[in-house]
Amino acid sequence: MNSAQELVYLDYAATTPMDERVAERMREVQRSAWFNPASNHAAGRRSAAVVAVAAQQTAALLNIAADTLLWTSGATESNNLAILGTARQRAHRGRHLVTMRTEHKAVVDVFRALEKQGFDVTWLDPDSDGRLEIDRLATALRDDTQLVSIMHINNETGVVQDIEGIGRLCRERGIAFHVDGAQAVGKVRLDLASLPIDLMSFTAHKFYGPKGIGALYVADGVALEPQVFGGGQQRRLRPGTLPVDLIAGLGEAASICDGRIDEDLKHLQDLKMRLWRGIRSVAGLVPNGPLDDSYPGILNVSIADVEGESLLLALEPLCVATGSACNSQSREPSYVLRALGRSDREAQGSIRFSFGRGTTAGEIDAAAAAYSAAVKKLRQLAPAQVA
Amino acid sequence: MDPYSDIVRERFADPAHAGEVENGIAAYFADQGMCIRLTAKLSSGALRELRFQAWGCPHVIAACETFCRCFEGRPATDLEQFETARIMKDLAVPVEKTGRILVLEDTVRSLRAAIADRSPTTQD
Repeated sequence: MNSAQELVYLDYAATTPMDERVAERMREVQRSAWFNPASNHAAGRRSAAVVAVAAQQTAALLNIAADTLLWTSGATESNNLAILGTARQRAHRGRHLVTMRTEHKAVVDVFRALEKQGFDVTWLDPDSDGRLEIDRLATALRDDTQLVSIMHINNETGVVQDIEGIGRLCRERGIAFHVDGAQAVGKVRLDLASLPIDLMSFTAHKFYGPKGIGALYVADGVALEPQVFGGGQQRRLRPGTLPVDLIAGLGEAASICDGRIDEDLKHLQDLKMRLWRGIRSVAGLVPNGPLDDSYPGILNVSIADVEGESLLLALEPLCVATGSACNSQSREPSYVLRALGRSDREAQGSIRFSFGRGTTAGEIDAAAAAYSAAVKKLRQLAPAQVA
Repeated sequence: MDPYSDIVRERFADPAHAGEVENGIAAYFADQGMCIRLTAKLSSGALRELRFQAWGCPHVIAACETFCRCFEGRPATDLEQFETARIMKDLAVPVEKTGRILVLEDTVRSLRAAIADRSPTTQD
C-alpha cells in the first residue's frame, strides 16, 4: 500500500487506539510509581496503591468487588486460566465440559487441549442467527458437567448471547459458568453482581486501553487451579510481578468507559445503520447475524461471488477484517460463519466492519462507497461461469 | 509484512487486459477454488488481442495480467514458453500459492489446444 494513502480504520474489534488520557496516566505511573507493588517498603506501597485504584476503577465498571479480579496479560491468558483452572480443579467430580463452535480461538484451542487430556467436550451449534438456544444447552448438560464457557459478544459477528439465561441454568445445576467478555467489557453495560456468572475474561486493548494487560473476574467462592507457578502474588493463582503502568492504564480505560458507554453505543448504532444503508443495495449481500439486536460496533456481511482476499485488497486503504483478525493469516473460511450455515464461498467472501469512538460518519460513507465499488470491480473481472 | 509485491499491487489495481475478446478463441479452467478464462484473437498466427477473466486472489489476477502483457502481440507458438516459475519469481508469489498459479498454466495449455483446434473449448 502507498504509505501516503490515509488509512480508514474500521477494525475496532481487533484492537482499539489507546485513549490519550490512558496514555498520560501510564506515563505518570512510569515516572512516579514504577516500583514492585509486592515490595514491603514505601516505594512498593506507592505502586500497590496505584494497582488498588485501578482495581477499584475496573470493579466500578462491572459492579464487583475489587478483590475478585486477577490481572493477566490479556483475554487469551484469562480464558486459559479460567477454563484449564476450572476443569482441572473440578476434574474429580466430572470431566464433561460444554462450549460453542463459534467461540474465539482462545477458547476453542483450550478445549481442544483438554480433549487431548481426556476431558469430554460438547460443542454446541448456534441457530442460524448465531445464538445459543437455551433448550439446546439444557439438553447437553449432564450429571458430570463441570464447566460451560460461552462468549458474550461474538468477535466476528457481534451476536450477543443470553448470558443471564445460560448462567441461570448453570447455577441451577451447580455448573461453573465462564464468559469470554473480550468484546463486551467496556462496550456494553455489565452488572456482574446481578448476573449468574462465575468467571469473565477481558482485555484492556479492546476498550481503548493498552495491549498486554487483561483480567479475569472470579466470583466469590469459585475455586481455580493455578496454571503457572513462581510466587505468591494474586493469591498464588496468577503469580508474577504486576505491570503497574499497564494495570493503571486498564483502570483508567475502564473508568472512561464507565462514564460514556451509553453515548458510545448510540454512536455505534448510528454508524452501523448508516453503513448498512450504504451497502444494502449490493446484490447478493447477506448480513451475518441479526442487524437489530446484535452489538452495534460490528457489521459482518458476506457475498458469495467475490473472492475475499481480493476484496480485502481492493478495499485498501480501508482497514477491515475477513472474519477474526487472529484468523486473517490462515485464509481459511471462517469457522464461525460456517457454523451459521454460510457456504465456504460466503464465509470466504465475508468482511467484518467494526467501529469505535473515533469513527466518523464520513469514514462510514467512504467505506460504503469503497465496498460497493470493490464488489463491482471484482464481479467485472470474474468469468460469467464461476466454478 | 506486506504479502503483495509492488508489481502485484500495480497489476491488481490496473488490470488493463481484464475482459474478453469478442468472438475470440476461449479457454477456461477451474481448480484450487480459482477459475480463469482466457480469450484471444489471432491474426497471421499472432496473438493480436489477449484478455483474461479471473475469480481468484490478487496474485492470480496479477499473474493473469502479467501473462497477457507478456504474450499479446507475440506468435501463438510462443505460448509454449509460458513458465509458472518465472511468473512466480517476477511477482514474488508465495510458494504456498503455487497451485493457484498452476491454474493459469493449465488455462494457457487449454488455450494452446483451442488455438490448435481453432475452435472454442472449455475444460473443468
